Amino acid sequence: MTAPPEGSFLSGQLPTAAVEPAAASELAAAADEPSLGRRALTSLRRDPVALISVIAVIVLALVAVFAPLLAPHNPLQAYPNGLASNGAPVGPGSSFLLGTDPNGRDVLSRLIFGARVSLLVGVVATGLASIIGVLVGGIAGYAGGIVDSVLMRITDVVLSFPILLFCVALIAITGPSTRNVMLVIAFGYWTYLARIVRGLVLSLKEREFVVAARTLGIGHRAILRRHILPHLVPAIIVYSTLGIATSILIEASLSYLGIGVPLPQASWGQMISQGQQYFQTAPWLLVAPGVALVLTVLAFNLAGDWLTDLLDPETSGDRR
Amino acid sequence: MTDPAHVQSRPDEQTAAAPPVVDVRDLRVHFKVHRGLFGSQLVKAVDGVSFSIAAGETLGLAGESGSGKSTVARTLVRINRPTDGSVLLSGAETARLSGQELRAYRRRMQMVYQDPYDSLDPKMTIKDAIGEGLTVRGVPRARRKSEVEELLARVNLPVALAGRYPGQLSGGQRQRVSIARALAVSPEVIVCDEAVAALDVSIRAQVLNLLKDIQADAGVSYLFISHDLSTLRFMADRIAIMYVGRLVEYGTSEQVFAAPAHPYTQALIAAVPDIAALGGPRPAPLPGEPPNPASPPPGCAFHPRCPLAVELCRTVAPPLVRKANGQLAACHVVPDAPEVAR
Amino acid sequence: MDLVADVITVEHLTVAFPAKEGTGEVVRDVSLAIGAGERVGLVGESGSGKSLTARAIMRLIPQPGRVTNGTVLFDGAELGANSAPTKWRGTKIAMITQDPLSSLNPLVKIGTQITEMLRYHRRLSRTEARGKAEELLRSVGIPDPRRTMTRYPAVLSGGMRQRVALAIAISCEPRLLIADEPTTALDVTVQAQVLTLLERMTAEHGSAVLLISHDLGVVGNFCDRLLVMYAGRIVESGPTATVIGAPAHPYTRALLSSIPSLRGELPDRLASIPGSPPHGGGKASGCAFAPRCPLAREVCRQTDPALLKISDLRTVPADSHQAACHALGDENWNQAA
Repeated sequence: MTAPPEGSFLSGQLPTAAVEPAAASELAAAADEPSLGRRALTSLRRDPVALISVIAVIVLALVAVFAPLLAPHNPLQAYPNGLASNGAPVGPGSSFLLGTDPNGRDVLSRLIFGARVSLLVGVVATGLASIIGVLVGGIAGYAGGIVDSVLMRITDVVLSFPILLFCVALIAITGPSTRNVMLVIAFGYWTYLARIVRGLVLSLKEREFVVAARTLGIGHRAILRRHILPHLVPAIIVYSTLGIATSILIEASLSYLGIGVPLPQASWGQMISQGQQYFQTAPWLLVAPGVALVLTVLAFNLAGDWLTDLLDPETSGDRR
Repeated sequence: MTDPAHVQSRPDEQTAAAPPVVDVRDLRVHFKVHRGLFGSQLVKAVDGVSFSIAAGETLGLAGESGSGKSTVARTLVRINRPTDGSVLLSGAETARLSGQELRAYRRRMQMVYQDPYDSLDPKMTIKDAIGEGLTVRGVPRARRKSEVEELLARVNLPVALAGRYPGQLSGGQRQRVSIARALAVSPEVIVCDEAVAALDVSIRAQVLNLLKDIQADAGVSYLFISHDLSTLRFMADRIAIMYVGRLVEYGTSEQVFAAPAHPYTQALIAAVPDIAALGGPRPAPLPGEPPNPASPPPGCAFHPRCPLAVELCRTVAPPLVRKANGQLAACHVVPDAPEVAR
Repeated sequence: MDLVADVITVEHLTVAFPAKEGTGEVVRDVSLAIGAGERVGLVGESGSGKSLTARAIMRLIPQPGRVTNGTVLFDGAELGANSAPTKWRGTKIAMITQDPLSSLNPLVKIGTQITEMLRYHRRLSRTEARGKAEELLRSVGIPDPRRTMTRYPAVLSGGMRQRVALAIAISCEPRLLIADEPTTALDVTVQAQVLTLLERMTAEHGSAVLLISHDLGVVGNFCDRLLVMYAGRIVESGPTATVIGAPAHPYTRALLSSIPSLRGELPDRLASIPGSPPHGGGKASGCAFAPRCPLAREVCRQTDPALLKISDLRTVPADSHQAACHALGDENWNQAA
């Protein structure tokens, strides 16, 4: 290597500050990131499918809440003009927009009140499952050791338990009811969330900021509250959304089998079960609840997917 | 015989001076690692390390992978528990503390971590992150805001950043927030575990200068861990070089860099591509790789790579004794100082 | 000017990523040339665009980035214009990266990875390829090459993996070897070994090297010429000894004085540069370094400085020292406002 030429072009030393004040470039470097709400709206605008599904979910929620105001007729009432002269159910027409069922009850009203049942069961069951799942998974993951092993073995046992059997048993003892349906679904569903939460907590425990909190001398309860729980929220929300979809399906299945929501209360599952029998003569009995169920589950699933994408970048730690 | 590791910066000074803030004696940290179905192996990550740090002083700890330097750091702040040995903080034994006493100990010894991206909770604002440290110290809510602002000013960050999230800050800024958080509890010692390794070169100087300023200001002692010798030369008053869980050299920064005694230190210094030494003759690089601490070579762990190794090195691990140039080194071959009796 | 075989000529290369604000250009108007057997260093911090420049040469820019301007010429002909990338990647231009675990397939035995290269590009038979692979592994200093060939990459240490990566890269005698931070993840003593090996191998096979690193010491000791990048632009270029001994651009000067050294006088404080390097596409006009530059003036914020020649052209243009700064050529810059 040759020796460097004499002297440098810029004469003299570069001026340096004695103390480094916070330069203007410091603030510029810390960019302003858009809030969660803003990002949600932008991503919805870009993704029409997600937009439609989110709107559908909101509409469904409104329908469920305002069912008494929206339903044109009483869903439990058998209307005399609901049946044709030969006793057969009436097809879609001016007085009964979606027709009637073999008892003369208005299908549309039953559909609307059925939405209420489905959503109620979905939300309550999933909510219950989430609470149990987070508690079990969180404690198992954070405590580790024996506690973890015991809780996970319990989870495994419950996972391998046939839900249907449990449902049948419960109903045999207490009789069919909406409450039983909710309990059964919660019982079956919490294990998935427990597993997921445990995994998340296990990895969160090792993250440097949790270690840093321990080093600062912060107690376990405060760490769980301030550092672990906020990181679980996105996963909980996402799985709850998908859980509602699953719950609705399970409720429909149970009702279809006759061990769910009891008659005369309207439930999509029952309506499908009934509609199946009358498919040749009164197809609207099957089509209406079937389509409603499919669209609802689809909407929840798609909305859940969108939520995952929206919330995930935050969970993964904001790497630059 | 006096433990040769307890030497002050200037060996001719009286030993009756104030006790060092940190006094680590024969620290051992062993991990049991499970191998296969039934076997387990004992990994001696730290195997008999002793050093001391005086108030307002910086001790640099250097080494490559497997040296155990990070384990020493994490053990000092009790992320790991010491298997054996003692850790004295201002003369009081702390190695076996638990519960409330451990909490109190934690406040006196803080750490700045290597990864600026993971050491701050991404969901907590800067002021909350620093505020956590204030809570530990028992600062009342009313004074929280002003203290946070004061700490931010101390690390040269604009107060406007208090409401932001770590994701909106650059690496250098995040590291400064970590320093502010550590300062919030008013510790006596801060362990910097590769605190600047993950930062851009032009940012490192800022953070290093800041650390020095804080030390001059608050009298904090540092245990500065780095694989980068140039940084250590700038930051540390005294240096300890580790190799596979043991100290191989220990002396003042000047001594170690000007006249390294241990062959490993010499090789380490020679291996650093220094911009100040361009075009100079380049020595042949040290062969081999740092050994796996799970199965270190017998005797002196460095002997397979050492150009000076003799038969004794293969069987007996050399003790840390004062060498002819003045600092402590663990080597059979390098001549001892005349006053060391053998 | 002797146009004999510049292996690679890059002219006005610009790479952009879609961005909400700014131009999104992460590599801006970069021009460079590497002669046969030359060792050129590309130095910069994060966001400087050095890695992307290398990938642009290999035509491996990750989506959604695109080359929006500029050409890359290999031996005078535009790269990729007539031949598919598989014809020249690995054979004419090879690359090793920081983490060999990502460039080596962790599920394929090491031997297979080398022989695969040899059989595909050089049409060797299986036995011939195996023999050559063994020879290659031995030449990069892997002990017991035959046994190593039967093992998987994850079993090896970082230094060993880099040697294997180097063996694979050099196996088809490329004219240019791009090494992107090859030693950043390695221990210092292992780094010294790998750099010495790199030096020997490229000299033996006559390959030119483009060494990319943030470590000025590494490139300074290895390369004949240095290119300093900042925010996607080349701000200084010249022979290594000149750029490091007598740097002209304020960024280079500040960078060099902010690095503590193992020898020489120890300052009380390191000269530091306030602020941080910009990320992503910067502003369209003005010198990107202006916000942090102690010499910055109004003209710096308005216009981009062009790369100006500093020292007189000695013999060959490759020896010229250039820097992009408005302050060059103005002796009175420091005195004026």
